[in-house]
Amino acid sequence: MEEKRIGVYVCWCGNNIALMVDVEAVSEEMKKLPNVVIAKNYKYMCSDPGQDLIINDIKEHNLNRIVVAACSPRIHELTFRKALENAGLNPYMFEMANIREQVSWVHTNREEATRKAKSLVVGAINKVSFHEPLDKRSVDIDPATLIIGGGISGISAALLIADSGNKVYLVEKTGKLGGHTANVDLTFPYLYSAQQMIDFKIKRLINHPNIELFLDTQIEEIFGYVGNFETTLKINTAEKVELKFGNIIVATGLKTFDPSGIEEYGYGKLPDVITSSEFEKMLLHGKVQTKEGKVPKNVVIIHCVGSRNKNYHEYCSRTCCMTALKYSNQLRSALPHSNIFQVYADMRAFGKGCEEFYTQSSRKDIMFLMFDQQNELPKIREAGKKDNCNLIVEINEKLSGEPIEVPADLVILMTSMEAHEEAKNIAHAVGISMCGNDFYIEKHPKLDPVATTTDGVYIVGTCQGPKDIPDSISQAEAAAARILAIILQGSVHVEVTTAFVNEEVCCGCQTCICVCPYTAISFDEEKNVSVVNEILCKGCGTCGSACPTGAIRCRHFTDKQILSQIEGLMSITLEEV
Amino acid sequence: MDFKPTIVSFLCNWCSYTGADLAGTSRMKYAPNIRIIRVMCSGRIEPTFILKAFREGADGVLICGCHPGDCHYHEGNYKCLRRFHLIQKYIQQMGINKDRLRLDWVSASEGKQFAELADEMTETIKELGPCEVKNTMEKLDKIC
Repeated sequence: MEEKRIGVYVCWCGNNIALMVDVEAVSEEMKKLPNVVIAKNYKYMCSDPGQDLIINDIKEHNLNRIVVAACSPRIHELTFRKALENAGLNPYMFEMANIREQVSWVHTNREEATRKAKSLVVGAINKVSFHEPLDKRSVDIDPATLIIGGGISGISAALLIADSGNKVYLVEKTGKLGGHTANVDLTFPYLYSAQQMIDFKIKRLINHPNIELFLDTQIEEIFGYVGNFETTLKINTAEKVELKFGNIIVATGLKTFDPSGIEEYGYGKLPDVITSSEFEKMLLHGKVQTKEGKVPKNVVIIHCVGSRNKNYHEYCSRTCCMTALKYSNQLRSALPHSNIFQVYADMRAFGKGCEEFYTQSSRKDIMFLMFDQQNELPKIREAGKKDNCNLIVEINEKLSGEPIEVPADLVILMTSMEAHEEAKNIAHAVGISMCGNDFYIEKHPKLDPVATTTDGVYIVGTCQGPKDIPDSISQAEAAAARILAIILQGSVHVEVTTAFVNEEVCCGCQTCICVCPYTAISFDEEKNVSVVNEILCKGCGTCGSACPTGAIRCRHFTDKQILSQIEGLMSITLEEV
Repeated sequence: MDFKPTIVSFLCNWCSYTGADLAGTSRMKYAPNIRIIRVMCSGRIEPTFILKAFREGADGVLICGCHPGDCHYHEGNYKCLRRFHLIQKYIQQMGINKDRLRLDWVSASEGKQFAELADEMTETIKELGPCEVKNTMEKLDKIC
């Protein structure tokens, strides 16, 4: 076996590490360890001169393993792996010790911090001693894309991808395109017609030579992995279509909250209490009226129905405040002499043009009344015979502290956005996860907001969380751009730190097959052993810890590597300080 | 002299390790007794890792994973939870107090929770005193 020659580099990170950790003492101590050929400390290891230091030492001293003690590997592991590659070493012959986020920034005693830093570096040296070179693997990309959902998000993504000359399969559950946007009259804050926007896109989509449309079609199961997915679509129970595609965009949209469970509002019992979707229909038909066909004199708009309340949904649905203001504007134009009441919990007017829209709308002779969303919802009851209206809304008005009775002929409930009832089935079919509210989870909430943890699957629009039309389109086009970038590359790198079965040790118990969340392990009946499909494997290592014989090796996190790291960590304790 | 315990901590890469990083970037202060090992998923944590840590002289072992339902690999944390209950029973038969092994969920945004957890765990272990497994094993080695 090749002699192990390890280089250790301790970073000062300017003063970030050096103030709390005696970097000189750390590098000196490491020199004493077996196989450590060189141990140095330097001001900024991630800088070009810092990386050159490693590259030159690798060449000069024939180093074959490198440890850098610096910040979190989540920040610079890739930087240093690149440096190793530049020096002709396999990038996986590298390990980082996190002595900034886990030491210098969180501890206050320099002596203790230094000892802890030393122990982490010894752990890293021990681990890297057992590292093995791993080869990059890549798979070819099928340039076709499957888009699930024909709302504004799905349509926008489809057009962008199809315009680039690549094939798109668009699957829509219903018989109609446009999703919820098609049910909206005007949009906030500029009062553009939603119909005009969506109709234009739908026309383009239907006539697009690169888009194949499947209406009234549902997705059941999708097989494969990034670049090479496939599914069978069942159309009208008889016809079957087999599709192959390289990437998937999930744009399944939202469901509106059903307010019949909120006793205070009497939805379903009081005919003139309607939801925002029902009101939107009235606007589309151009007639605002009560059930009896009369023109309402008093219109009450209640906010946060199903949102921001621990009994229903804790999250904010983001669009209802502005939609409610939009209604005031439309009502004021349609019924100039009506009384309009906004019964709100908090007015949330974030986003471009929205605060201005709020200011403008509030000047249109509209009454704003605040209620306590957490503790006391307004109550709607039928009006008495003497009252000159249909309904009475009782509010404990928060700003004045007074109980107020508001007359109403029509009450509009601003219902919240919910995850789709079929969200779970789709999540299962494409292999993505859901948060507690059943919205899909993105790969990283800030840095990777449209990708998912399953390579090749993207989430856009309201299936990811409540949002408005421009945000949905931004996400859709972002996902489309991500996919086009991958199609252009032609191939994509896949995880190399996968599991691997040692066939000689495998006893064929198939425990690993039961625990694998990616069905990446199959059973070879002839040899009586488990086999890992390394393209499906994501490297979680669950099979490795379940394997009773130790036949499964989790690359880059092998038993040997971790056990040795534990020994290293425990070789220096705080005791002597 | 004060007892200064050493606690080996296994954190999953996606939630808990990121949470611990956040504690760092937010400059939250916590006890220096925790030493972190990064694994991709809490589902990777084998019983042998935990036993090895105690064998090498750790006074406590802290395992952190994603909250239920949030696992990057769908359900590795559930598998970890099942193993945890078994290992906790097992270590008690070895004479190790069950509180020396703890499992908790820390998300990527819970830097504060991680710092508090590290302090809490350190306090628990300080109250329990040093873990004698390493010494006992060494004595046994000599006798055998």
